[in-house]
Amino acid sequence: MDLIMQFIINSLIAGATYTLVTLGFNLVYGATKFVNMFHGVLAAVGGYTVFFFTQTIGIDLWVSIIVGIIGAGLVGFLADRFIFSTLRIKKASNLVMFIASLGAFIVLQAVLAMVFTSQFQSIVHSVDSPRVYEIGSAAITHIQLLIIITALFSSFGLVLLLRFTMFGKAVKAISDDEEVAKIIGIDTNKIIGYVFFIGSAIAGIAGILIGFDTGIQPTMGLAILLEGATASIIGGIGNLYGGIAGSFLLGFVENFGIWKIPSEWKGAITFSVLIIFLIFRPQGIFKK
Amino acid sequence: MKETLLELKNISVHYGGVHALDGVNVSLDEGEIVALMGPNGAGKSTVLKAIFGLAPINSGRVLWHQQSINPVAHEVVRLGVSFVPQGRRVFTRLTVEENLEVGGFIIKNKPELNRRIREVMQIFTVLERKRKYKSGTLSGGEQQMLALARGLMTDPKVLLLDEPSLGLAPKIVKEVFQKIKEINERHKTAIMVVEHNIKSLLEIVDRAYILDKGKVITYGEPQALLKTDILEKVFLGKFE
Repeated sequence: MDLIMQFIINSLIAGATYTLVTLGFNLVYGATKFVNMFHGVLAAVGGYTVFFFTQTIGIDLWVSIIVGIIGAGLVGFLADRFIFSTLRIKKASNLVMFIASLGAFIVLQAVLAMVFTSQFQSIVHSVDSPRVYEIGSAAITHIQLLIIITALFSSFGLVLLLRFTMFGKAVKAISDDEEVAKIIGIDTNKIIGYVFFIGSAIAGIAGILIGFDTGIQPTMGLAILLEGATASIIGGIGNLYGGIAGSFLLGFVENFGIWKIPSEWKGAITFSVLIIFLIFRPQGIFKK
Repeated sequence: MKETLLELKNISVHYGGVHALDGVNVSLDEGEIVALMGPNGAGKSTVLKAIFGLAPINSGRVLWHQQSINPVAHEVVRLGVSFVPQGRRVFTRLTVEENLEVGGFIIKNKPELNRRIREVMQIFTVLERKRKYKSGTLSGGEQQMLALARGLMTDPKVLLLDEPSLGLAPKIVKEVFQKIKEINERHKTAIMVVEHNIKSLLEIVDRAYILDKGKVITYGEPQALLKTDILEKVFLGKFE
């Protein structure tokens, strides 16, 4: 029974982490219809920005976190301005956009490794042991609880933004028919730029929280991206609600999957689920 | 003397090696309804797209109130020109009301936006009843009404309509044309409408241009055009 409780908690933590990745990934996919691989590295950008400002410069942690979130958003925004929007104007295919985003991902990951080394690093000083809350005999750390709360607030905030603001309706209009969106006066390039900023900032939050929980590494983006992309596909790519459902489904399947088999096979479970969905329900849970 | 609102001077549009438009001159005066007619591939829709910068202009100029403009889609609408594209293309993920809201995207004042939605719904009463419906669930005729209504949200001086009758039953086509006439008469909106070959359209227009193979073959008042056999010749491919 206690073991089940711990599995449930671990599943929720994993689901919340994937949610933070899928929110931005699906937001960008919805508006641009391309699989943005660059999204993964933005988590590392968030984590390393906080690392740089707290450890190297020695600025207050909270200020560093805000700089980290805005920094990740800005890097995503600039990648759109200089790479993706240029390709969109040239009417590049989604495959070209996908490859370009993967290229940009690898370049930025390499830059992070050159500047900060490829070593695994901790954002917080290792002497600070995390606060732990106990639920029965199961445990959750302060940071892990924060991941769940942040995922909830981010999901809720993004849903409200899309549903009740003119910006949100413009994003949906672009997602439906970009040419008509232009015709009615929406500067689609500008709105897509904002979409990149918001989506990338949320990826930055994910990276910062993961950094606090387990640490940072320049290559952390790929694993995060693959989990997030899998959760998005399971839920129905481009659909925010689908992404959230897919994230938690994946979190539970992975964590309960390793109940009886060694945890090193977690990745195999993830991609088995992906393949099962691609064969039997390629449109995902939420798409009709 | 009526003022000319919109004018295309010597416009040529080439897609690759294909000449979609070849030195086309078209104008629209205030308060009038002008039809662009011709067979498939004549370049009618391209004229409207060129005005909105959605077709690549190789030469020629687009004039608004005699001033040359650089057509960029999201800016042309701010001049007071609306474009209702072919095939309705309503935003199916949005409700009827939300379609109208984004149709008024350039209106930054919320009470003004709500006032426009009410006004437009008074013209298209069918939309009032279905305001909370996802627009994808509407019938073809209702979607065309919504597309027209969305185009009217900005209270445009000029409305460009690309084949509003496409895929609609004859009875509905008549209703759509009646609405177009009503909009023109009540709001003095100048309208340029592209249609394939519908004689009933000629009953509501002031002037018509006949296009073929990217060129304007002839233009004039509908009665004068109907007296000649030019329409038959163009549509039967007998025009030389």
